[in-house]
Amino acid sequence: MATLSSDLIWEVTRGNSSTLVKRKQAGGVQFSKDPLNLRNQYSRKYEGLVADKAIGILPAENGGITLITKKADKQHTPASALQKSTISSKRSTRKTYSSIVKSTTKKGYRPDLRKDAVARASAIRKSQQPVKEDKPAKLRGKKAQADS
Amino acid sequence: MSRPTVTIIGADGAASKDTQPIPNVFKSPIRPDIVHTVHTGMNKNKRQPYAVSEKAGHQTSAESWGTGRAVARIPRVSGGGTHRAGQAAFGNMCRSGRMFAPTKVWRKWHQKINLNQKRFATASALAASSSAALLLARGHNVSSVPEVPLVVSSTAFADAAIAKTSAALALLKAVGAGADIEKVKRTRKLRAGKGKLRGRRHKQRRGPLVIYNPDEDGKELVRAFRNLPGVETSSVYSLNLLQLAPGGHLGRFIVWTSSAFAALDKIYGSTTEPSALKKDFLLPSSIMKQPDLNKLINSSEVQNVLRPVRGGAITKRTVVQKKNPLKNFQVQLRLNPYAKAFKKEGLGHKKEKNSKPEAVSKDVVALLHEN
Repeated sequence: MATLSSDLIWEVTRGNSSTLVKRKQAGGVQFSKDPLNLRNQYSRKYEGLVADKAIGILPAENGGITLITKKADKQHTPASALQKSTISSKRSTRKTYSSIVKSTTKKGYRPDLRKDAVARASAIRKSQQPVKEDKPAKLRGKKAQADS
Repeated sequence: MSRPTVTIIGADGAASKDTQPIPNVFKSPIRPDIVHTVHTGMNKNKRQPYAVSEKAGHQTSAESWGTGRAVARIPRVSGGGTHRAGQAAFGNMCRSGRMFAPTKVWRKWHQKINLNQKRFATASALAASSSAALLLARGHNVSSVPEVPLVVSSTAFADAAIAKTSAALALLKAVGAGADIEKVKRTRKLRAGKGKLRGRRHKQRRGPLVIYNPDEDGKELVRAFRNLPGVETSSVYSLNLLQLAPGGHLGRFIVWTSSAFAALDKIYGSTTEPSALKKDFLLPSSIMKQPDLNKLINSSEVQNVLRPVRGGAITKRTVVQKKNPLKNFQVQLRLNPYAKAFKKEGLGHKKEKNSKPEAVSKDVVALLHEN
């Protein structure tokens, strides 16, 4: 059981994988369901299933985000292969991003994914904000006259 | 070189202290192409011939009416007194005619596959089953499994301990395979089409494959496991590619008993020692020793023969859009280094002192006009 290289795994799975979502729209887009895929794009760089090291960012249950990283030396032990940590929504977004970067890029862990990790965290945090209600429409013309 | 080992998991799901060396078959090359072609062939070998009746569409004495009757020259049913008379017959375009190219029972139903290819594919599928990534890519829910390959101690099966489905289910749950079975259960769907009427009513995913050694584990476990949805059992001595790589896709989730796992080296041998049970068989060895592209690129052998990077940090860009130096100050600076000082001093819009010529004194004018 020489540890399989991720290049080989990618060649085996690039056409067929449980995470792959193929659609005919837009010239045959290929998306990924992999939680370790920061852009949900089925590509060699972003697919976390095949990579030795991968970053995943998911919304946490009570707001905030969960950062998942893959332990490179635990490839054969799926139960303990993922490192999860949660950054709560009380933390400011800037600090959230910097703690993501500190625990990944600054340690030499997939520096190529830094931008995508921050972008995903940012999108998740933005989506967790309450939706502002629309202002009541300002009446104009005859309606305004009738109202007053 | 010490071979990597795998931990043996006890019946309670806790890792025991025992380990087993990984059998050589797990080092075979992973060849999805071979597995796919062998699977396509093998998948055809259980088919039963079918055909339409030889007589279908020909049980009438129709003959063409020929020309001159203002109808097509297709054979027509003779006689009268019934609606059938005068109707077209035989042709594949006719109602109650025979089909086009009626199917025959002597179609080539089965495929011969070279034995060595079949063995290669089996070895390859076994090797792929040791990669958690490939299991996940095949769709198995193995995120709670302590280790792949998953080897369960044969003591759990000793003395027909697993003879009841409840015991079998408890064992699989204990070793972390419960999630995969649950997943399979949820996927049970009614089949689309006529297959429903032909004994293939439901479709469902495949769950774990339990591989046992009939000599040591006994055969009671087969009955225990067979009512669990998606779970299949197989003797280690008769592994089947259709089970090891369903659909031709590598990475079946396999639960090994430790005695079955230990028997693999005897069954498959190694790349140098022939197998004890298979005639004329050596395990295939991979052509590439190092399939990791990054390691190849960064290896000293490759890096030593590369020429140094040309230009380094500053490289001349060749094809770029031409910039207008009158509008782009940086480009202007490149052409005219004085432009910086010129702009800073504001020389472009400075009024020239004494720009108007001084009036000539009257004396001079008078002198000029003097005659």
